[in-house]
Amino acid sequence: MRLLALIAVILTGGLIIFQTGAFPDFGDANAPANTYLSTYYLEHGQADTHAPNIVTSVLADYRGYDTMFETTVVFAAGLACFFLLRRKKVPGGEPRIYRHMPTGITLRIADGGKLPAEDSEVFRRLDTEFVPQQLIIKNTCRIVIPFIQIFALYVIAHGHYSPGGGFQGGVLLAASIILYAISHDLRRAIRRFSEKTAALMGSLGVLIYAGTGALCLLMGANFLNYKALAPLLGVDAVMARSHGILIVEIGVAFAVMAMIIWIYYNLSSAGKHDEGL
Amino acid sequence: MTHHFPALLIIVPLLSALIVSAMGWINRRWCFPLAVAALSGALAISVGLLTQVMATGPIAYKMAGWSPPIGITYVIDYLNAPILVVILAVALLNLIAAKTWIEKDFSEKIGAYLALYLLFLSGMVGIVSTGDAFNLYVLLEIGSLTGYALIGLGKERAPLSSLNYLFMGTIGASFYLLGIGYIYIATGTLNMADIASMIPQLAESSTLFLALIICMAGLFVKMALFPMHGWLPNAYSNAPSASAGLIAPLTTKVMIYAMVRLGLTVFTPQFTFSRGMLSEAIVWVAVAAIIAGSLLALMQRRLSRMLTYIIVAEVGYMVGGFWLGNEAGVTGATLHIINDAAMTLTLFLAVSAITWKLGSDKFEDLQGLFGKMPFTMMGFVIAALAVIGIPPTCGFFSKWYLITAGINAGQWAFVGALLFSSLTNAVLFFRIFEIAFFEPFATGHGHHDHGPTFSEAPLTMVVPLIVAAISLIALGLYSGDIVTKLIQLAIPAGIA
Repeated sequence: MRLLALIAVILTGGLIIFQTGAFPDFGDANAPANTYLSTYYLEHGQADTHAPNIVTSVLADYRGYDTMFETTVVFAAGLACFFLLRRKKVPGGEPRIYRHMPTGITLRIADGGKLPAEDSEVFRRLDTEFVPQQLIIKNTCRIVIPFIQIFALYVIAHGHYSPGGGFQGGVLLAASIILYAISHDLRRAIRRFSEKTAALMGSLGVLIYAGTGALCLLMGANFLNYKALAPLLGVDAVMARSHGILIVEIGVAFAVMAMIIWIYYNLSSAGKHDEGL
Repeated sequence: MTHHFPALLIIVPLLSALIVSAMGWINRRWCFPLAVAALSGALAISVGLLTQVMATGPIAYKMAGWSPPIGITYVIDYLNAPILVVILAVALLNLIAAKTWIEKDFSEKIGAYLALYLLFLSGMVGIVSTGDAFNLYVLLEIGSLTGYALIGLGKERAPLSSLNYLFMGTIGASFYLLGIGYIYIATGTLNMADIASMIPQLAESSTLFLALIICMAGLFVKMALFPMHGWLPNAYSNAPSASAGLIAPLTTKVMIYAMVRLGLTVFTPQFTFSRGMLSEAIVWVAVAAIIAGSLLALMQRRLSRMLTYIIVAEVGYMVGGFWLGNEAGVTGATLHIINDAAMTLTLFLAVSAITWKLGSDKFEDLQGLFGKMPFTMMGFVIAALAVIGIPPTCGFFSKWYLITAGINAGQWAFVGALLFSSLTNAVLFFRIFEIAFFEPFATGHGHHDHGPTFSEAPLTMVVPLIVAAISLIALGLYSGDIVTKLIQLAIPAGIA
């Protein structure tokens, strides 16, 4: 059976590699891929959408409908992770570990023992695997995280002009929260950015995208035809497309950020949202 | 607003999925009514589209207002309009039937479950209505990803079955994407109609021919054509009952639709059937699928597993019929997409009701079921007759076209496989009738056998089942109309 599979793989791979010989050369100006549609996008992209970054204009406008579903894929992935992994905490059961902050002593409290208050300043709960004092890591992250977030906002807002946009900016925003969760602990990250926030923000993000499309529908144009938003935004039709792209990019950023954080919460704690990494 | 129906068909399930998901965190009681309302709305829109297509011909809708091939186009024509209605009707009936299951199994995660359900559906509806080859891939991702999640939280080893499905499904989707890449290299466009218009000049292109093979191979994995069917029986039989009734009737059928669409509209019949060797080989694989599926179904001792192997055989019917490449074959394959979706739905609804009452669907537990659950078994019998292919149920008519196609093409092995599979189906189902009708119901007391007591599944399960069963007869009675007014108009010139 294994031999059979190997033969099938070699045959398929061989066929595909063999066929590359018949392809147009790399960068060939006369290849169908370079002479047909891409010419249109390059020549009309900026005039049509007022976005100098052609990738953005194709992604968020000419083929914006595909991108809406790519955002939905991210949303569905987050939802699927929650649906499959999330489980309610079993009451009691595992021992917990606390650090007495003034002295630095760690205490292990077995099942049934008296636990300190959840928001106690004196006792801080630690993950059950030994966590040393991490002064440098924690403080570095505290300094770095705001800059990551500002850069993320720049990446989202500047998607029209340079590489970037909602997906990349959303990932950066999510990374900042995940960095906080890793450098501090999962519980405190969840206290700042709760599961419910993540779930609702994900829905909201896709809703901004699809809702913008539906708004165009209500304004009498086709789905996702941002041109129809011109009277609402008080600009001309081309500028309306440019603004429309920005609006949907913000929606994408919301959805991607919330879903990546939610997936991290569920994966890192095996769905218990208690301890993780 | 009727002008925007093709877009609304997708927007309604998509937006409602987002709202249902949010409602799961705010007020869970609203989730189910919202989902039912959304599906009813989408079903009404699809019926509206069908009447529009029948009255005025195919409809094209430009997403974002860009004309093809610059933007993405949605095309509703004679081929996909009836299939859209069937998909939405299947999803709505199953959702109502699954109400009690969903409330029992996923009470806390009902928002997430129903949102995944609606997203799965918007993926399926999108695959069927899109006129863009790459957009089809994006929607395929939505449909598959949500499908894995819907299956994953089921019985026994469902997570493992879902993981296997995920591996195979990803391989299939990647092949399809690779094929689309090849098409783009050869033509420079992604719009289906635009690709088709370039095919005559590229008839000798080996890149395009490889694209055809790779795309089809990807779809064959996704539709579980034997011998790539390994993932299907476990995934479908271990899935939660609420999901099995959605995914089993839709996924394989929608993939077969994608194959028909690709073969007829994108590659055009002249090109698709131009290499006799390829068509011949695929028909032989289909023959093997039919025989293997039927034999494996005979070996099962659990109702739902038996049905999954029948699906494997049915996939063989449609693939074989299509690749025979004559008019009767393509007609039969397309008609069978509709009929098989309805038949599979009815069977899975019946199994879901039986499992609800008995807690199992093993053959030995089915004794005396006709007395205990007469209405459920009525629906089951009608569906069984349809699968066997007895008139006036719909199964007879599509099988008739497929057999005619085999005879016309002189492909006797295919005809033989179809007849063999019909006989096997008869054995399979009459074996169950015998257990459920003649073998006494075990009361467990041992003194006097009072016979089975009447104890039917809840009304929300039985009513959709009966509706689905009646639709099998209705589809059979109207199959003449479906063929002459829709399917034959969808088959392009160039198929003999």
